[in-house]
Amino acid sequence: MDYEAVIGLEIHMELNCVTKMFCDCPNRPGDEPNKNICPICLWVPGAIPQFSYETLEKATLTCLALNCEIQEKSAFDQKVYYYPDLPKGYQLSQAHLPLSRNGWLNIVGEDGHAKRLRIHHVHMEEDVAKLVHEMEGKTPISLVDFNRAGAPLVEIVTEPDMRSPYDAMEFVRLLRTQIRYVGSSECSLESGTMRVDANISIRPGGTDQMNTKVEVKNMNSIRHVGDAIAYEIKRQEALVNAGEPVIMHTRLWDPDKKVTTAMRGKFSGPCVPDPSVPLIVISQEWLKEKMSRLPEMPAQKAERFHKQFGLMEDEASLICSEKDTAEYFENVTSFPVPARMVSHWLTTQLMPAVRERGENLLSSSVTPERFAALLEMVDKNEVNASSAKEVLVRLFETDRPVRTVVDQGSFSQVSDASELDGIVTEVLEANASAVKDFHNGVSKALGFLIGQAMQASAGKANPRVVREILMKRLAS
Amino acid sequence: MSNHYFYCDPSPQSREEGPLAGNLIAVQSNMSVQGWPTTAGSLALEGYVALEDATVVKRLRDRGGVIVGSTYMSELGFGLSGDTAETVLKDGKAEVVLVTDTMGEARMAAAGAGVYGFKPTHGLVSRFGLIGLVPSMECYGVMAGTPQAISAVMDGISGYDERDFSMPDREKPDFSEKADISRLIRRVGVIPEATAMLDESERKAFRDGIRKFSDLGLAVSDVSFKDFDLFPLVHGVIGSVEASSSAGKYDGVRYGHRAQGTKNWNEMYLKSRGESFGLLVKSYLFQGAYFQYENYETFEKACRIRSCLVKDMNDLFSKVGVLVLPSKRLHFDARKAETVQDIYGAFALTLPANVAGLPALQMPGFIAEGAGGIGMQLIGPAFSDAELLALANHLSQQKGMN
Repeated sequence: MDYEAVIGLEIHMELNCVTKMFCDCPNRPGDEPNKNICPICLWVPGAIPQFSYETLEKATLTCLALNCEIQEKSAFDQKVYYYPDLPKGYQLSQAHLPLSRNGWLNIVGEDGHAKRLRIHHVHMEEDVAKLVHEMEGKTPISLVDFNRAGAPLVEIVTEPDMRSPYDAMEFVRLLRTQIRYVGSSECSLESGTMRVDANISIRPGGTDQMNTKVEVKNMNSIRHVGDAIAYEIKRQEALVNAGEPVIMHTRLWDPDKKVTTAMRGKFSGPCVPDPSVPLIVISQEWLKEKMSRLPEMPAQKAERFHKQFGLMEDEASLICSEKDTAEYFENVTSFPVPARMVSHWLTTQLMPAVRERGENLLSSSVTPERFAALLEMVDKNEVNASSAKEVLVRLFETDRPVRTVVDQGSFSQVSDASELDGIVTEVLEANASAVKDFHNGVSKALGFLIGQAMQASAGKANPRVVREILMKRLAS
Repeated sequence: MSNHYFYCDPSPQSREEGPLAGNLIAVQSNMSVQGWPTTAGSLALEGYVALEDATVVKRLRDRGGVIVGSTYMSELGFGLSGDTAETVLKDGKAEVVLVTDTMGEARMAAAGAGVYGFKPTHGLVSRFGLIGLVPSMECYGVMAGTPQAISAVMDGISGYDERDFSMPDREKPDFSEKADISRLIRRVGVIPEATAMLDESERKAFRDGIRKFSDLGLAVSDVSFKDFDLFPLVHGVIGSVEASSSAGKYDGVRYGHRAQGTKNWNEMYLKSRGESFGLLVKSYLFQGAYFQYENYETFEKACRIRSCLVKDMNDLFSKVGVLVLPSKRLHFDARKAETVQDIYGAFALTLPANVAGLPALQMPGFIAEGAGGIGMQLIGPAFSDAELLALANHLSQQKGMN
């Protein structure tokens, strides 16, 4: 039988606020253990949570980036459970009245068509402390680091609209792009500032059944999200085919073995309204002010780049998928260089080179000004493409002006016909058999001869001029 | 002296100046004073020493008040069992005692001592540093011999505190003698459904007391409150749920009592908590956990009913300026309550003000108090605290002249 997967995601995202969510402690979980703690986040008796305004602002921006409807009234609840990572016996979260509902993102589906994936709601909640398990001699001990206790989070809960690992990976990619644009979170699965849990069930293709779902956790990259979902779909298919039931539980993804393994039973404790954090009421004026502060989002920006600069659509969305890249692109186009040339060199040469070096585009030594200067020389035929690629590599290592790098490295392109004429003569004399092939109609022979001439000029010859001279000489 | 104090300050700080200069004030052992043992009457807080002053303590000291010590109290302020506030006040060891009022404790203790006991509007006084049990119901209560003494303390401790976000952002009332009592004095309301909870002799005592109001020229009339008997139920459901959550932090991990000889953290939790709480609090926490885990619907209903009760109560104040209620019933003893049911029986007449968050004052002199008396409380509209105390002052003077 053909099965169809039904996938929903629950994504926890750490907001990059300066302080924790309910106190003034620095929001730096990675500091030395228990450095950033106070009576409130330790929940010392008599403490009262003080909800941080910055958390509300950044959470709101996050919701707006995901096209969610901000709710006029939202409130905190206590998610009750007992565990040493939870200093007060409950976690402050929004179970009944979340900050926003009804969001969506449009991904490009596997069939190339746009596909809308809906978001059920986004709510705020505090992070819990970190447990460290160690051995003290032969006794296992557990240590609690409260640096992370009370760190501000949002949880994004999608509708079960995804049908494949591809859908889920695209959703997470797009979500990350959107959030990074508004700047409310680093959104890194690798470093744990974003944690993706997937709820997966399967059903016969074409039906609308909702079957027992299984939750999969612990994916540390977007690729792992896809792999873990693919594995879980296969596992459930095998169960169903064998006539065995799918049991609701949580599984952990093991990135080394590439399998999921069963974990604890799913939490189902009560959620009761919290009497200490006041009701949050959002006015239309406040919301309008936040919306006016939203940057141009990736989809609009790509659309504009397409129209304004004539970029291909996929090239435009590639450049706009990172805010830094888009900004860099616009900076370079302010110099007299063709925009499509910028986009081509940026996506095929500069971006891979920056990534390879583990650098950041905006802080690399290839400033928009230097990159533009190089492209200008390419555009004016002062440097040919292959030399320019080498110059680009040197620009990462030196701060000298591009013109100097080109001159000192003798990368200037030779377009002078009289100079190239001599080289062509030598090539023709040395490769008589290729000349013969050419006259016999072997089309590859011309390319070979051009290549020989380029080599003889140490790559500096203007290939267009070489080709013209060769054609003229071979015809005579 | 010290046997009525849980902790006595060996060298009380005293400022020469300020509106409360030289006032001897006692707190309870759940009100944080930096460096003092602060165990809230519970083994769950064994050995716990407050890290900083509660906002109330800080404000009292800033105004010259002398915090002499902390009194013994019931476990986590639930009821009055073992509470020594009344004795400390009667013995003159303190002029003012602060008592946590969760279901009427400050008023009940005052009714026993024949003094004034005041519960302010919820949100008027910062709860920062108060180790409580039921956040939406409890507040600092103030016991003293005169309404002026209470007003002076209220003037010091009330008003917005940025460390308690649950407080409304509104201006502090004027607690000076200039407070205008005309709004409250226009009509005194009696709730027949409350009087109906008394037995015959109690009812007679209450009627005699009310007659004194008429004798002073006040207009007294009945105002019906159909669902008055729902207050204890609502308080019991919501209060126990909040208590169950609030007490969740007592796990023996960071402070307080930790059971020995346990094999893992789960066992450590169970045994530490099992050993920490007394029977009354334990059954209250069980009740709350029951509503949280097994019967959430009832909790939700209780929340909805509470909203209606608050609204109905506020509506009464469009008809009358102030309400007069008896404080207690004689066959219930708040100090000897051993079960949750006992305790709710004992506080049934005082807890409506906690459910509705309204200011209420136990006022002596009109109806007999002490062992054989039922006492009398005035309840005013929200944030009428200053007027209510001024009214009490006015009435006591009028009565004295008669």
